[in-house]
Amino acid sequence: MLLSAVIAIPFLGALVLFLGSGSRQLALAIAGIPLALLVWLVTHFDPQQSGIQYQTYWEWIPQIGLHYSLGLDGISLLMVGLNALLTFIAILSAETAIKRPALFYGLILFTSGAIHGAFLSQNLLLFFIFYELVLIPMYLLISIWGSAKRDYAGIKFLIYTAVSAILVLGAFLAIGWLADPHSFELSQLHDLALDPQTQTLVLVALILGFGIKMPLIPLHTWLPDAYGESSAPVAILLGGILSKLGIYGLLRFGLDLWPEGWATVSGFLAGWGAFCVLAGALAAIAQTDIQRMVAYSSIGHMGYILLGMAAATPVSLTGVMLQMVSHGLILALLFNLVGIIERIVGSRDLNVLNGLLNPIRGLPAISALLILAGMASAGIPGLVGFVAEFLIFQGSYSIFPLATLIAILGTGLTAVYFVILLNRTCFGKLDNHTAYYPLIQTWERIPGLILAGLIIWFGIQPMGLVDLPQSLAFDMAGKVAQAHQEPIILAEALDLASAP
Amino acid sequence: MDEQIWVASIGLIPVYAMVAWGGALVWSPGITTRTGPRPAGYLNGLLTLIAFVHSLLALISIWGQPAQGIRIPWVQVGDLVLDLPLQASSLTLGACVLITGLNLLAQVYGFGYMEMDWGWARFFSLLGLFEAGMCALVLCDSLFFSYVFLEILTLGTYLLVGLWFNQPLVVTGARDAFLTKRVGDLLLLMAVIAVFPLTGSWNFEDLAAWAAAVQMGTVAVDPTLITLVGLGFVAGAVGKCAQFPLHLWLDEAMEGPLPSTVLRNAVVVSTGAWVLLRLQPLLSLSPVVLAVMVTIGGLSAVGGSLVALAQIDAKRALSYVVSAYMGIIFVAVAGGHTDQAYLLLLIYAPAMAVLVMAEGTVIWNSISQDLRHLGGLWSRRPVSGLSFGVGVLGLIALPPLGSFWVLSDLAQQFWLSEQWWQLGILWVTNAVTALGLMRVFGLIWAGQPQQMTERSPEVHWPMILPMTLAVGLTLHLPIILAALDWLPHLSWIPAGLMVGSSGLGLGLGIWLYVRRDPQPVDWEWLRDWQDLLAQDFYTPRLYQVSVVFVVRVISNLTNWIDRYIVDGIGALTGLVVMAGGQVLKYANSGQFQVYVLTIGVGIALVSWLTMH
Repeated sequence: MLLSAVIAIPFLGALVLFLGSGSRQLALAIAGIPLALLVWLVTHFDPQQSGIQYQTYWEWIPQIGLHYSLGLDGISLLMVGLNALLTFIAILSAETAIKRPALFYGLILFTSGAIHGAFLSQNLLLFFIFYELVLIPMYLLISIWGSAKRDYAGIKFLIYTAVSAILVLGAFLAIGWLADPHSFELSQLHDLALDPQTQTLVLVALILGFGIKMPLIPLHTWLPDAYGESSAPVAILLGGILSKLGIYGLLRFGLDLWPEGWATVSGFLAGWGAFCVLAGALAAIAQTDIQRMVAYSSIGHMGYILLGMAAATPVSLTGVMLQMVSHGLILALLFNLVGIIERIVGSRDLNVLNGLLNPIRGLPAISALLILAGMASAGIPGLVGFVAEFLIFQGSYSIFPLATLIAILGTGLTAVYFVILLNRTCFGKLDNHTAYYPLIQTWERIPGLILAGLIIWFGIQPMGLVDLPQSLAFDMAGKVAQAHQEPIILAEALDLASAP
Repeated sequence: MDEQIWVASIGLIPVYAMVAWGGALVWSPGITTRTGPRPAGYLNGLLTLIAFVHSLLALISIWGQPAQGIRIPWVQVGDLVLDLPLQASSLTLGACVLITGLNLLAQVYGFGYMEMDWGWARFFSLLGLFEAGMCALVLCDSLFFSYVFLEILTLGTYLLVGLWFNQPLVVTGARDAFLTKRVGDLLLLMAVIAVFPLTGSWNFEDLAAWAAAVQMGTVAVDPTLITLVGLGFVAGAVGKCAQFPLHLWLDEAMEGPLPSTVLRNAVVVSTGAWVLLRLQPLLSLSPVVLAVMVTIGGLSAVGGSLVALAQIDAKRALSYVVSAYMGIIFVAVAGGHTDQAYLLLLIYAPAMAVLVMAEGTVIWNSISQDLRHLGGLWSRRPVSGLSFGVGVLGLIALPPLGSFWVLSDLAQQFWLSEQWWQLGILWVTNAVTALGLMRVFGLIWAGQPQQMTERSPEVHWPMILPMTLAVGLTLHLPIILAALDWLPHLSWIPAGLMVGSSGLGLGLGIWLYVRRDPQPVDWEWLRDWQDLLAQDFYTPRLYQVSVVFVVRVISNLTNWIDRYIVDGIGALTGLVVMAGGQVLKYANSGQFQVYVLTIGVGIALVSWLTMH
């Protein structure tokens, strides 16, 4: 019931906003309800249990195997929580004078509800419906409220994600038909034994499909345009939470269902991950638009995640799940700040921006937060990004030493472009002729402060996050290790998973 | 009160500084316009004083007692348990006393030096961050957490060097400091990650025990792997200690505010050496690593002291001396002389602090740090001149000050272990450093007043007081060492060698520079060499044409490929589909047969594809 409420409230809220002349306050209040429910869920979730909790099951269309089947485990909880939080932050980050506010906030809530649904679905077809449902409002959000090239970016986003959806649907249908009896229920698919070739084939479709969504290089070209042309709240949703749908799908329907196939392709995936880290970081260095730079940074960070998933050790998978949250928080903070800078200064061009740290006429608080966000993204210890990256590196090193070392090299390049960004925007001398910026309102700093607080808090006290998905990570790692037939890791994982 | 309470609560020592850091951040620009910037600084000074007193009391309690450990849980993922282990011993707490004491002096000095600055909140909060990071580093007993704190110090350096972010040189200096130190940090991180599967622990004792087991032959390990891991450890220290080839940042960091330079030159650079010292058993497993350390340390020691000779910027002339002394520490650690290295770190810190502070008083009200524009200050600034002199004597091997005992002991150890190269490096570095420091002294205090030193009286008490206190500490160090019975027994050959080296350097320096009418050293045959040294062996340019160039080209290339090839393929696919649609549209003549033909060909194509 609770999970259905988490999904339904944003949808109902969107409906109310579409019909009436809804306001920002109303949208915030509606977005606050799932957030409050999630806080309750986090405190009542049992992290020791690796299975699904809070299950809901209603038959819907049994003829095609579509059921309304929801459930929650560690990673779903983290993702739904992140989604609820970032929806709230996105609404808070929107400018007050946004055009057609009812439609805008309504679409954001609609997206949020669909994403909630995808993360909670325990049925492949139900997941797919929610996954597709995200597309429409997102397309509208990009192409109505975006900047100059928004139409191009919106169409590109739509086509790429549609292709992603086709691949995912193809794989899902194959899985459902291969199951005996035919089923799309996750709980029944776990026992499905397919021969390795078929597993690999299904996995390739899933990896390509979800790889577009994450995105992985070279399937990523929709992303810089989509992130770059979106307004800040939409970019927060796109980068903070939508990209997690791809990772989540790959974890849930790839790694977890087909460990033997996963073990076959894992070496390739690790190399691909390391390549993404390097290519993303290098491309980011060459950008002059800070929003595009952040977009490429996001692509680079997907490489760490792919590496950690490929290694599939308990530590690396815990790191991946932590990285999904930390990446969401940090990227949301970056987009929020870039949005404020663009609104106040009127530019995102590194050749124009300068000296914003100036205490009197610049944006000192925003600049300070930008430094924090950049450093968190570059993996400086004491902030949440480091914990995640470190767990991925430590967990992956024993399986893929070379790929891990390349990925660490990538964090050095990450530092390079963030130093370029910070030096150009925050440091330097403010231009006396142009620096007449409007005053920044106190409330505009609130989303940034909330995110910064979380980034620091979970950086110093990561156990609150690490605990939730741990048993699931051990469970998944155990399956892959079994497929790898690596008795040591397997014994370790089983041992630890069974420990109270 | 129970004395143990000070030891049991050592975890608080870094926390005081963290509180100071957070507290100073309250003075945002908005509040500063109402209260002025100073309360943030005083708050920091007070908390540093508390930390100093706490460290001192804990040191007294632990003195003569065995070391005690405290574990603070942090993260646990399966069998990867990351607890923060703190170790209270006379060594770690002694280091805390030194750090907090010097930070206190630097902060009081900062009250004076930064008098007119509005950035107090940022400046003092960052000093607090440094103190927290360093105290945590010396107290923690784990390689992993050492890496964590070193990385936080890297961030601190970036922000502190960038304090006066309006100036272009500051911006590039901060950038280079961050990136070069980060390179070292990341190589260290690679080694930290790679060593764990071998040892199963990051605690320094466990690492030492493992290294001993490898030495004994009870544990087998791939020699290539352990060499690579050792090189990673060394790389971390190379970045921190400003060793060749990652030494550039320290020179550029001189663009930051001077009171932070006091702390940086005296203790922050030593953090890398500290970690290296604790890892010594592991490093000694690989002869390659030791050879690399001697090479890097030797190059930095001799090269650094030589480059210092050719600097016209007063602060930079000192910064290369820092690299030189850290180079000596590298050589000492590689030779296995860790006791001497620890003592050298202790002796070096106050002497270097005095040098920077004394020079800072001159820079502050002479408004110039160009050595060519200074001179003739002895009559008007005897206190700072005397302090600088004590700093010089405290740093080079000249009896009776502390450095004589430590450097001579080190020379004796090299002598006894027949490490002749190392002895030579030490001898030359000491002599050249003596010459270089005497040159700075002569150019500032001797000779005739120049245009920037016509009106240059001694400065106000917040700067003089910490400087003279540090002078007192430098002068008393040999007495402290004697009281602790730490003075080595020296034989006359190494002691004589070192005194000779200092005498040669000082004598040459006095002859060239400490005279009423100093002649610039401008000899025809020397000019190319002077240029080479003044340009730091052209390493900045070397970086420009190598690493920086390569990264720039590759990133632009990646961007180009991304834009025109990867995205181009996507666009081309779209174009082909569009064109196909257009062709079909215009091929439509309205005749039924054409439709049938088109559809028929399409079906045939698709079925042909599916068949194959």
